[in-house]
Amino acid sequence: MRSLFLEKRLTPSDSALALTLTTALSVVAALCIGGLLMMPFGANPFLAYYQLFEAGFATWRGFGFTLVKAAPLILIGLATICAWRTGFAYLGFEGCLLIGAAAATWTAMQALPGGFLEGVPFLAFLPVVLLTSMCAGALWSGIVGVLKSRFGGNEVITSLMMNYVAIFVVQYLVSGPLRAPGDLPQSPRLPQETWLPYLFEGSRAHLGIVVALVASFLVWVLLLRSRIGYELIVTGLNPKAARYGGINVGARQLLAAFLAGGLAAVAGTVDILGVHHRLVDGLAEGTGFIGIVVALLGKLNPLGCVIAALLYAGLTVGADAMQRQAGLPASVIFIVQSLIILFVLASDLLRYYRVGSRTGVAVNMEAES
Amino acid sequence: MGEGFVLSVFLVAWLSSAVRLAAPLLLAALGETFAERSGVLNIGIEGTMLLGAIASYLATLWTGSPWIGLLAAVLVGLFSNVFLAWMYVHVRANQVVVGIIFNILALGIASYTYRLGMSDVTGPQKAEMFEPMAVPLLSGIPVVGPIFFNHTILLYLTVALVAVASFALYRMRFGLQLRAAGENPRAASAAGIDIVRMRYVGVLLSGAAAAAAGAYLVLVQVGLFRETIVAGQGFIALAVVIFGRWDPWKAALAAFIFGAADALQLSLQLFQIGLPPQLLISIPYIVTIVAMSGMLGKTYQPEALMAAWRRE
Repeated sequence: MRSLFLEKRLTPSDSALALTLTTALSVVAALCIGGLLMMPFGANPFLAYYQLFEAGFATWRGFGFTLVKAAPLILIGLATICAWRTGFAYLGFEGCLLIGAAAATWTAMQALPGGFLEGVPFLAFLPVVLLTSMCAGALWSGIVGVLKSRFGGNEVITSLMMNYVAIFVVQYLVSGPLRAPGDLPQSPRLPQETWLPYLFEGSRAHLGIVVALVASFLVWVLLLRSRIGYELIVTGLNPKAARYGGINVGARQLLAAFLAGGLAAVAGTVDILGVHHRLVDGLAEGTGFIGIVVALLGKLNPLGCVIAALLYAGLTVGADAMQRQAGLPASVIFIVQSLIILFVLASDLLRYYRVGSRTGVAVNMEAES
Repeated sequence: MGEGFVLSVFLVAWLSSAVRLAAPLLLAALGETFAERSGVLNIGIEGTMLLGAIASYLATLWTGSPWIGLLAAVLVGLFSNVFLAWMYVHVRANQVVVGIIFNILALGIASYTYRLGMSDVTGPQKAEMFEPMAVPLLSGIPVVGPIFFNHTILLYLTVALVAVASFALYRMRFGLQLRAAGENPRAASAAGIDIVRMRYVGVLLSGAAAAAAGAYLVLVQVGLFRETIVAGQGFIALAVVIFGRWDPWKAALAAFIFGAADALQLSLQLFQIGLPPQLLISIPYIVTIVAMSGMLGKTYQPEALMAAWRRE
């Protein structure tokens, strides 16, 4: 007689099958809970999910919004990958995004009449603004990087605190130096020739998604196909071994901090020049944290991060449409999004078990002992 | 009216609102102190505060009693943090990751529950709030009285909790075991201390306290629920814990300083002084960064903070 059995492993199974299965299970479980949460509002979950995916992915206009939302998420995700794979547990992406947005606003304001960038063609302006904001973001994250690599400070807490300082810096800038005349604390509207151009007719998708995809490719090359990337990853896996292997661990951590800050700052630039077209208070709205989630969902891999960001952005766009059309609260989808990750994390426990089948041997052994 | 009178009016207005703003930070920080002393960095207190806020708001709205609201918040805080503790201690997932995602989840749950709970109510309704109670005699002292002794019962309870927390941490067997679990779990386990239990207790205490802090925001400060009601105060409580070097009394002082800076920038905006108010309000954060930077030598954090533990 054959019987199924469950036994505990010493280490979690990391076969592709086990990983795919647990991830799929997590997604299905989260979607089921989301479906249950839709019930009290009298909605048919299947129809709601269908409408959601249609709005986020299947209409040209909706997919444009998805690309707009995905671009900053991809960039924050890439920043997370660079930092976390080097063992630099940075959480200050929200702050870097804000600093990058402020730097981009300042640069774009120089293209206003009388500024030193007035009349510069967009193709020349783009590298200038990207470079300025990346430097600003890298300097910002570099503060935490220096504290970590020079003094061994705890980057989790310091980077969280730097987010608040960044919020206050932006508040100060929009109420003082960058403020436009008028009642509201905000910068002047940026000149139209500095806006990221829209990619297609009838869609809001702008050049930002191209910037994000190019960045993904560059990060992939740097991290997984170059010597420096190898050193970064070894530093993250085991700093002591890296030091014995002749890698300057402090310098690599600092480099990871610069990369993270620069990439996160581009996310702010893309949002300012592609969507808001001016600097306002309360700009980031948690993008800096959701980008971390996206990177984790993509298993800290650049390609995985792009896919996860598109999914996450599409779900968010679909959730907004669902709220407008079916009157269902968009929060259901936010719950589903975070549950997916929590379930993926928790399913690690499942990978400690092995399911198998055997003939009556087990019973005999028990009988003998 | 002399300048002295103006000064005392300003002091009373400033410092009494400082105390009011500091209390929820202190409450959350007291709980977090226990979690971190047991070795768990519970970043999920931000989300737990929000869950406490929505629970207390709805329960108070339905029953009319802020005490039931407070109780509901504490229960929700305990319940949600059982899940967090399981993720931290049994699943051994990265504590920072779990905390951050939990905060996003809590925002979704709070907003969903608000929609569901308010579906047949039109317009925002104010929940019953705790009223200030003047302490007899003490509240009559000039300047000091109105600053410290004319608050709600929740504030006095919070201050009493500081003493209780300090006693539990340093004078009780439980506190010794908790601290051992956070400093050196291997040695503690060898000495017969149940690390898993200690860490569960630490996280649950932080959950209950954070939820109560969320209830404080609703039942003392605002009377309404908004998704932005917590707005990072849970993260600030993390800073208060560090600033207070993982000690309840020092955390009380730290919370007061954060509250005072917050209240001062509010008053400075009225006075139109040349100094940017943002500079002032960012000072406590910068001080926390310097304190955690390692530049001043040893940071006092528990040795095994953020390290998952597995029995060998």
